[in-house]
Amino acid sequence: MREITYAEALREGLRQAMTADPSVFAIGEDIGVYGGAFGVTAGLLNEFGAERIIDTPISEAGIAGACVGAALTGMRPVGEIQFMDFVTLTMEQIVLQAAKVRFMFGGKASVPMVLRTPSGSGTGAAAQHSESLENWFVHVPGLKVVMPSSAYDAKGLLLAAIDDNNPVIFVEHKLLYKTKGHVPEEMYRVPLSQTNVVREGKHVTVVATSVMVSRAVQAAEELAKEGIELEVIDPRTLKPLDDAPIIESVKKTGRALVVHEAVEMGGFGGEIVARIAGSEAFDYLEAPVRRLAGLDIPIPYNRELEYHTVPQVENIVREARKLARGEY
Amino acid sequence: MFANGQLQPEVIRRYHEVIESLGPEFLKAMLQDMHTIRAFEERAEQLYGLGKVHGTMHLSIGQEATAVGASNALQDGDYLLNHHRGHGHCLAWGSDVNRMMAEFVGKETGYCRGRGGSMHIADVDSNNLGANGIVAGGVPIAVGVGLSIKMRKTQQVCMVIFGDGAANEGAFHESLNMASIWKLPVIYLCENNQYAMSMPVQKAFTIENISTRATAYNIPGVTVDGNDPLAVYLAVQEAAERARRGDGPSLIESKTYRYKGHSKSDRQAYRTRDEVNEWMEQRDPIMRFSALLTTAGVVSEDEANGMRDQAIKIIDDAVAFSDASPAPDVSSLLEGVYA
Amino acid sequence: MPIPIILPKFGFTLETADIVQWLKHDGDSVRAGDPICEVTTDKVNMEVEAPEAGTLFGILYEAGATVPVTEVICYLLRPGEAKPENLPVRSTSAETSPAQPMTTPSSAGEKSAKDVSATPVAQRVAEAAHLDLSRVQGSGPGNRIMRKDVESALAQPPGKVRATPAARHLADQTGVDLMTLAGSGPRGRIQAADVQAVTARQTYIEPIYDTPAAAAVAHDVPTTHSSDSATTELPRKVKLEGMRRTIATRLQKSFQTAPHIFFDAQIDMSGIERLRATLKARSEKVSVTAILVKACAGVLLRHPWLNATIDDETINLWPTANIGVAVALEAGLIVPVVPNAERLAMRAIQSKVDDLATRARANTLKISDMMDGTFTISNLGMYGVDRFTAIINPPQVGILAVGRSVRQFVPDAEDQPVLRSFMTVTLSADHRVVDGAQAAEFLQDLRGVLEEPSLLAW
Repeated sequence: MREITYAEALREGLRQAMTADPSVFAIGEDIGVYGGAFGVTAGLLNEFGAERIIDTPISEAGIAGACVGAALTGMRPVGEIQFMDFVTLTMEQIVLQAAKVRFMFGGKASVPMVLRTPSGSGTGAAAQHSESLENWFVHVPGLKVVMPSSAYDAKGLLLAAIDDNNPVIFVEHKLLYKTKGHVPEEMYRVPLSQTNVVREGKHVTVVATSVMVSRAVQAAEELAKEGIELEVIDPRTLKPLDDAPIIESVKKTGRALVVHEAVEMGGFGGEIVARIAGSEAFDYLEAPVRRLAGLDIPIPYNRELEYHTVPQVENIVREARKLARGEY
Repeated sequence: MFANGQLQPEVIRRYHEVIESLGPEFLKAMLQDMHTIRAFEERAEQLYGLGKVHGTMHLSIGQEATAVGASNALQDGDYLLNHHRGHGHCLAWGSDVNRMMAEFVGKETGYCRGRGGSMHIADVDSNNLGANGIVAGGVPIAVGVGLSIKMRKTQQVCMVIFGDGAANEGAFHESLNMASIWKLPVIYLCENNQYAMSMPVQKAFTIENISTRATAYNIPGVTVDGNDPLAVYLAVQEAAERARRGDGPSLIESKTYRYKGHSKSDRQAYRTRDEVNEWMEQRDPIMRFSALLTTAGVVSEDEANGMRDQAIKIIDDAVAFSDASPAPDVSSLLEGVYA
Repeated sequence: MPIPIILPKFGFTLETADIVQWLKHDGDSVRAGDPICEVTTDKVNMEVEAPEAGTLFGILYEAGATVPVTEVICYLLRPGEAKPENLPVRSTSAETSPAQPMTTPSSAGEKSAKDVSATPVAQRVAEAAHLDLSRVQGSGPGNRIMRKDVESALAQPPGKVRATPAARHLADQTGVDLMTLAGSGPRGRIQAADVQAVTARQTYIEPIYDTPAAAAVAHDVPTTHSSDSATTELPRKVKLEGMRRTIATRLQKSFQTAPHIFFDAQIDMSGIERLRATLKARSEKVSVTAILVKACAGVLLRHPWLNATIDDETINLWPTANIGVAVALEAGLIVPVVPNAERLAMRAIQSKVDDLATRARANTLKISDMMDGTFTISNLGMYGVDRFTAIINPPQVGILAVGRSVRQFVPDAEDQPVLRSFMTVTLSADHRVVDGAQAAEFLQDLRGVLEEPSLLAW
C-alpha cells in the first residue's frame, strides 16, 4: 500500500479536483511559487498556471470575499488562510456573507467554497500562529466544518468538501502535514458528516479531533497493555455532526472522554458532552463525561510550556485510565 | 446645471448627443423608473408607519439618479452587488416590484421568501447578487465575481455599489488592490450620499473626492454628479467598456444626497433642515431629469406629469400583490440553510 | 507592640473551643475583619476575625487544639512593625488547665472513624448525623475530611441516592431499589455493576467466578427449574454501609460497653388523656411524645445522673435537658433533639417535635438539630407495641422506650371496677453511671408527673 504524507494527500486531492473540474481553483497567500506556507500546494503552479493557483496580496478579507464571490457565480474556489489565527481577518466574509447568503436569499444561491487553514500548536509559533479556532465556525449556521486527522481522511474529505455546495471550513493541523498514511491513488471521497470509529474498545469512548486522534490511539495502545480498551472516535466533520456512532459507543462503554486541542471553555467538547448527555446514551453512563482540552491561555512560546498547554498522550492515558478504573 | 432652478442651455447642448443616442423610449423609461423608485420608497415609509414592516429600512429618496443611471449602463448577464440602501438599485436593475414589495413586508412570494427583508433583497436569477447589510460587505465579493468572470472567460462585468462609509473599511482597499493587480472586470461605484449614518464625508475624509483613491491602485477614478442619471450612465458605461476590454476595474464616485434619515430611528441631529431643503429644492434628481427631458422635447409636460401617477399605480398593485401573498409557513423555517 | 489575638468567648457558658483550621498563616497580611481561623464550640462553628490590619505571626495552637477562651492564640504585627525578638509562647494556664468535667463534653465516637482521616469536628458532625465517614470525600490537606465535606455530603437532597445514569436505568428495568444498595463507585456512587451484582445473584445469570471449581459448585446447586418452585429465590442482599453501618456500629458498641439495666413502669394515662381531650376541644393538639418530652425534661433535672453523658474517663452531668426523640426513617433511625426542653412550654415542645419529625422525613435536618442530646425517648406506641426495651444512644446514659396505652378495668378505692388507660414505659440505663435506685426514683417521679398532669406546669 502506498503511503504518503498528509500534505501530499491534500495536494493530490486538490490536483485531482482541479484536473477533473475547471471551476475548481486555489487562492491564497504564497500558494504559488512558494508552494504554501506548509507546502501543500507545492508544484501546482506549474501544473495549473497562475490563473488557477492564485497568489494573493496579504489580504485575508479579500481572499475570503474572492471565494464568496466566485462561488456565488459558478466557481468552486479553495481558499487558503496561511494560519488559522488569521481567520480573524476573514470573519466578516465567512460568517456574515458565505454562511448566510443562501438563507438570506431564500435558498436561491449557493456558496460552494472551501477555506483551508492549518490550526494547532506544537511548532513554537506562539500565541498568534498556533490557535485552534474551529468551534467559532461550528457556531455559525450555514457553514460546514471539517477536521481531517489522517492522510487518508485529508484527501477524501478535501474532495468531498470541494464537491459540497456549501462553504466548508477545512481545518488542517500543522503537526499532521508530515505524518504518513495509506492513501489510495484514485479520486475517492470521505463523505462529510460521517463519524469514524478509529479503534474499537469496550471500556472508555474517547472522542478526539485532528491531531488528538493519533494521540488518543497511542494512549489506547498503552492502556491496552493494562487491559483497558479505548474506543477512539473521530467525528471528522464537526458540523453538521454525525453523533450516532458516538452515542452508540457510549451506550457500549458507559464512559466517555472528549479530547481536543482548542481551549476547553466553549470548545467543541462541550457539544459532544451535551449530545451524549441529551441522548439515550445517558442511561448507559457509568461516570461523568470528561473533557481534556487546551488550557484557557494563549499558546506560549517556550517548548515546555507549549507542551503542557494542550493534551498530550500521557494526559489522555491518565484521564482514560481514571475513567476506566472508576475513579470519576 | 441649474441656476435659480432653471436648466442651463449649455447642459442641454452637452447632453444632446447622449439624448440622441439613447432615444426617447429609453430616456422615458429611465425617468419612469426614477418615479417608481421614489414612489416605492414613499410607500415603504408609509407602510412602516402603519406597522406593516418588521424591522428597519434605509430609504434612497433623493438618490434615484445614481440607481437608474448606473443600472441602465449595464447589460443582461452582468452582475450587481448592492448595499443596504438598495431598493432603488434593485428596481433599476429591472427586478419585479411585486416580489420586492412582498420581500419588504416579509411574504413567501418575496424574492427571498421573507427571509431577507429590506436589507437583503436579491434576484439571483438576474445576477442581482443582493443588497448587503454589512458596510463594504459586497466589496470583496466583487473580487471573486470578477475572478469568476475572468476564469470563465465571459464578457460579463460586475458592478458593486457601496456608500461613502464603505470606502473607509479595510476591505475596500484590499479589494481594489486585488481587482487592480488581476485586472478584474469590476466597477466600483461609490454612492456618496454625504453621510455614513451621522458621519459627514467632510469629517471622514480629508480628500475632496473619494475617487482620488483610485490613484493608489492605479485604476481610473472619476467623480460624477450623482443626481444626474446621464452623468452616472456615462461614467458607468465607460467603466464597463474598459472592464469588458480586459483593462480592469474603475472607481466611480457618484455624489448624491439622501433626503431621509439613515434609518427609521434617525433624528438627523447631524444636519440642518436648510441643508436638506437646499438639496431637495435645487438639486432634486427627478425634477432635474424631468426638466431636461421636457426641455429637450423628449417627453411632454403631460407625459412627465403622468409618470408620477403611473408610479403610484405600480406601487398600489405591488402592495395589493404583497397583501394577498401568504406569509412563510413556520414549518419551512429550516429550509435554505444548506444546499 | 504586636496585638495579641485571643480566642473570644462566643457564649456565656463557653469555656473552651477547638481550632478547626487556620484560614491565615504566619506572615499573611490581613485586613481588619478578615477571618483568621475557624473554631468550633460544641454547637457552632465561628470565625476569629482580625481586630485590625497587620501581619499574622506567632500562631500558638495548631488546628485541632482545644483552647480555653480568652487565651492568646496568635499575634498581629501592625503595618511596618518588626517582629519582636522574644517570640510569644503559650501561657502556662493554657497548657495545664484541665478540661472541666461538668461542662466539657468529650467528642464521643472519635474511634469509630479512626480509619479515615477527618477533623474532630467533622467526626462529631458525621457521628451525630449517622454518616459513615468512609463515604465522604475529604477536601482538606491529605484528603482529610473537613466539616464542610460532611455537611455537603449531608446536603444531598431528600430521598436522593448517588448513582450513575446507567445504574438508574438498570435498576429501573430490573426493579432493584437503589436505596437498598451500597455503591462501589467514588463517594459511594452506585454503578451499574452494583445493580448487576444484585440481579445476577437473584437470577443466577452470571457465574461470579469463572473458574472450573466455581462452575462445579454452580453445577451442584440444586436445580429446581420447574416453574412452580420458588426455591431459587435468594434473599435480597444489602451491604452494611452508610447510615445503616453507623447505626450498627454505634448500637453494638453501646450494648457491649454500657451495662444496660431495664426498668418497667405502668403509668396511668387517664389524666393525660383528659388533658389531651381538653386541648383537643380547644383545637390544640398535643402528642404523647411531646408530653413525654416535657415530663422527662422536668424530671431529669431532678435526677442529674440520668441527664448525663459518659466518655472513657468522664461523666458529664448536664444542667439542661436536651431530649432526643427517635424518628424512624426508611434508611434507619435518626434522633433529633429538643434542646433546653425544661424551659419550653408544652406548645413550644409540640411544634418543635413536629418540626423535627417533618424535617427528619424530608432529610433537611441540620447538624445542630441532632447534637448534644442528654436523654432519648423512643415511642413505638403508635405501632401497637405494648412494651419494649431500647438500647442507649451513646454517649447518653438513659433512654425511655414507650409502648401503647391500653384501657383496663382496675379496682378503685372501693374495689369497684373503673376504666383506666395504662401505658408501659421501659427505662434503659447505663449501670456504669446510674444505679438501680436512681433509675427507680426517676421513674417514680416521672409516673407522678404523668399521672397528675398539672405538675407538668411546675
